[in-house]
Amino acid sequence: MKEKIKYIVTVVLSAAIVFGFSGWFLFGAPKEYSESERRVLKQLPEFSFDAVLSGDFMADFEDASPDQFPLRDIFRSIKAYASEYIFNKKDNNKIFVADGHLSKLEYPMNDEMIDYAGERFNFIYDKYIKDTDAEVFLSVVPDKNCFIAEENGYLSFNYNEFADKLSEKVPFAAYIDIMPLLSADDYYTTDTHWKQENIIDVAEKLTTEMGASFNGEFTVNTVDKPFYGVYYNQSGLKVPTDEIKYLTNSATDGCTVTNYDTGKALTYPVYDMSKLSGADLYEMYLSGTVAVSVIENPEATEKRELVLFRDSFGSSIAPLMIGSYSKITVVDIRYISPTALEDLVDFENADTVLFLYSTVLLNNSKAMK
Amino acid sequence: MLFSSISFLYFFLPAVLILYFIVPKVLKNSVLLISGLVFYAWGEPRYVVIMVISILVGYVFGLLIEKFRGKKLSKVFMILSVCTDLGLLLYFKYVDFFIDNINNVTGLSIPLLRIMLPIGISFYTFQILSYTVDVYRGDVPAQKNPVTLGAYITMFPQLIAGPIVRYSDVERELRERKHTLQKIYEGIIRFCVGFGKKILIANALGELCDNFKNTDEKTVLFYWLYAIAFSLHIYFDFSGYSDMAIGLGKIFGFTFMENFNYPYISKSVTEFWRRWHMSLGQWFRDYVYIPLGGNRVSLLKHLRNIFVVWFLTGFWHGADWNFIVWGLYFAVLLTLEKLWLGKYLKKSKVLSRVYVLFLIVISFVIFNAAGMGEAMQYIGGMFGIGATGFAGAEWLYNLKSYALMFIIAAIGATPVPKLLVAKIKETKAGDIALSVLSPVFAVVIIILCTAYLVDGSFNPFLYFRF
Repeated sequence: MKEKIKYIVTVVLSAAIVFGFSGWFLFGAPKEYSESERRVLKQLPEFSFDAVLSGDFMADFEDASPDQFPLRDIFRSIKAYASEYIFNKKDNNKIFVADGHLSKLEYPMNDEMIDYAGERFNFIYDKYIKDTDAEVFLSVVPDKNCFIAEENGYLSFNYNEFADKLSEKVPFAAYIDIMPLLSADDYYTTDTHWKQENIIDVAEKLTTEMGASFNGEFTVNTVDKPFYGVYYNQSGLKVPTDEIKYLTNSATDGCTVTNYDTGKALTYPVYDMSKLSGADLYEMYLSGTVAVSVIENPEATEKRELVLFRDSFGSSIAPLMIGSYSKITVVDIRYISPTALEDLVDFENADTVLFLYSTVLLNNSKAMK
Repeated sequence: MLFSSISFLYFFLPAVLILYFIVPKVLKNSVLLISGLVFYAWGEPRYVVIMVISILVGYVFGLLIEKFRGKKLSKVFMILSVCTDLGLLLYFKYVDFFIDNINNVTGLSIPLLRIMLPIGISFYTFQILSYTVDVYRGDVPAQKNPVTLGAYITMFPQLIAGPIVRYSDVERELRERKHTLQKIYEGIIRFCVGFGKKILIANALGELCDNFKNTDEKTVLFYWLYAIAFSLHIYFDFSGYSDMAIGLGKIFGFTFMENFNYPYISKSVTEFWRRWHMSLGQWFRDYVYIPLGGNRVSLLKHLRNIFVVWFLTGFWHGADWNFIVWGLYFAVLLTLEKLWLGKYLKKSKVLSRVYVLFLIVISFVIFNAAGMGEAMQYIGGMFGIGATGFAGAEWLYNLKSYALMFIIAAIGATPVPKLLVAKIKETKAGDIALSVLSPVFAVVIIILCTAYLVDGSFNPFLYFRF
């Protein structure tokens, strides 16, 4: 009798799971976007005889079925917890937890990518800057693995060596070393980026070494919403969220940001509050991913212009520097080819050009056009 | 289609189960045939025609062999059947290998045909061959119902990666089989064991192997870590698949032969091959080794027979020289054990096991290499030749990351878990506990493996490329 109960319970429970999820999948509404992964989810393919005969239907179905599976985020969390706490794996899909931080493995150092980044910077210099009076600087933002990876047994490359290698490729630029000013606490625990409220000293060093004065007086404002950084949902683990803050003073309050990405001039403040209703609160800094934007500071006491080539780390530091300049042109060559900058960026009147990139991008620099 | 996919577990299998269990008995084999064709066509829509042709050829020749039994024509049809089946296999799997080697030897530039390998052709071809030869030998009567024969060949539990099921083993069940709650329960548990082995263990160790292949930091210890990881990975991948096939077979009322019997506890390479991929070993024994005379011939012919079987075994696994070398590697070892080493291995259970594990790990490095060049590079690296160093950061990181997985895999590759369960079951309390845990086990494995599938991406079985 006991055996029979065992058989029945096992068969019923197994069937319930398989048939239950099968039905849910078949009759549930398709999902289009994953908030946790910040990507569009693959859709199940349309049936056609041609697609079946060619095998495309089946291949697309295999690709899309994990994306459309019911309770996808919950299952991803189950996998993350199993990987971390049952099987004791050090990382899950290269995301790891160390010293309270979520991070992503970035290893090994990719010389080819460093070379490519150097080649792009040289191209920009040769085409636009060489014949101007602008002073050129380079600075590398270390990702937080610099401070948490090696000491916790995770793979990590030598960040000083990384910066040296890039610097050698960019001989026309004076190097500003900001690594000694940073530590793990200066980064969000669930995101790759640094915290704006912790990088005033970095902004000061960059600005003063580039020959400008710096006003470090800011009011710290806290966004009344938890910040789920990029690693939070990628990891699948439930960890404390971050708090996002933004710093203001009379310069930030008075300046305007203009971008021409759509072809028409679009103007907004340095902190775009409309982005707080989106998935990534970090986009509030300079409105997120923009190819070229111009920050103008009408309060500037002298006419001093900076052209800042940057990745997303630059979005949060540029507002801290605007007090020192009358204009900062912020350029992201992931979204615009360097060949197309002539009409958008005023290099002739630029006093300073700064290449400020993180090791995350530099080690994967093919993202640059 | 693969067992370890959302589409199989949550679409195909539920649909087939419903259809299979609601149709009357007389239609159940038809459901198996159609579902097998759909299963195969899901991965190979064009090549399902090849499989259907192979089945029809086997069916017609089976009838002709039986019709002319006792006459010379019977043997002619048997030979024709073998030639047709092997001809298809040789063409689809080996033609480019032959062309490439002809070009290398003669200096010609015959263009390669670049034919895509039909999934599972090595498995179903051997099944059809065994059927027609068994009919010729009089071991089984020819199957007059093409649907029944088709159901045998296309039965999806074992279609693309075995076990190589003999027609004689399932002939009775094709005609008459019982579906009981106990069998379904046992099938589910066995399927879950295999599912867990594949998704939770094999795939994890496969990731480590990928980490090794993708790094430039190939140190001596990382070569060894890779070699051991791959040896465990291929075991759990293949035996896991076999468990799933056996479990599914049981749900549908069939009893398939065991394909693995804890090969890593073997005390000789001879014993290893009696425990690893047993259906293949037995196939070559019954259809090549014994017909050649086996060991009932002169010593020289006996050795010839060993080398022929192992050449073919290696070649069956892949159309490249590293597979042939892999097969002949075992021919040499088996010969050495037969002639000399065997008696010494019996003297120490520990040393003999170390000897076997060492040689098997080396063999799988050859097996998994992308050609002999890489095989030599990797083996050299294991002994310090061409390695980038001795230990290294990546080796250590991967060792720490997969340490527990290695321990689980090492224990899981032995009979220890099974013996433990049997021991617990001997007590009343233990028996009750296991009764409660059985459904929990099934649910946990299905949920956990689904989680891995949802989070992961394409994860094919290793052996399905054969």
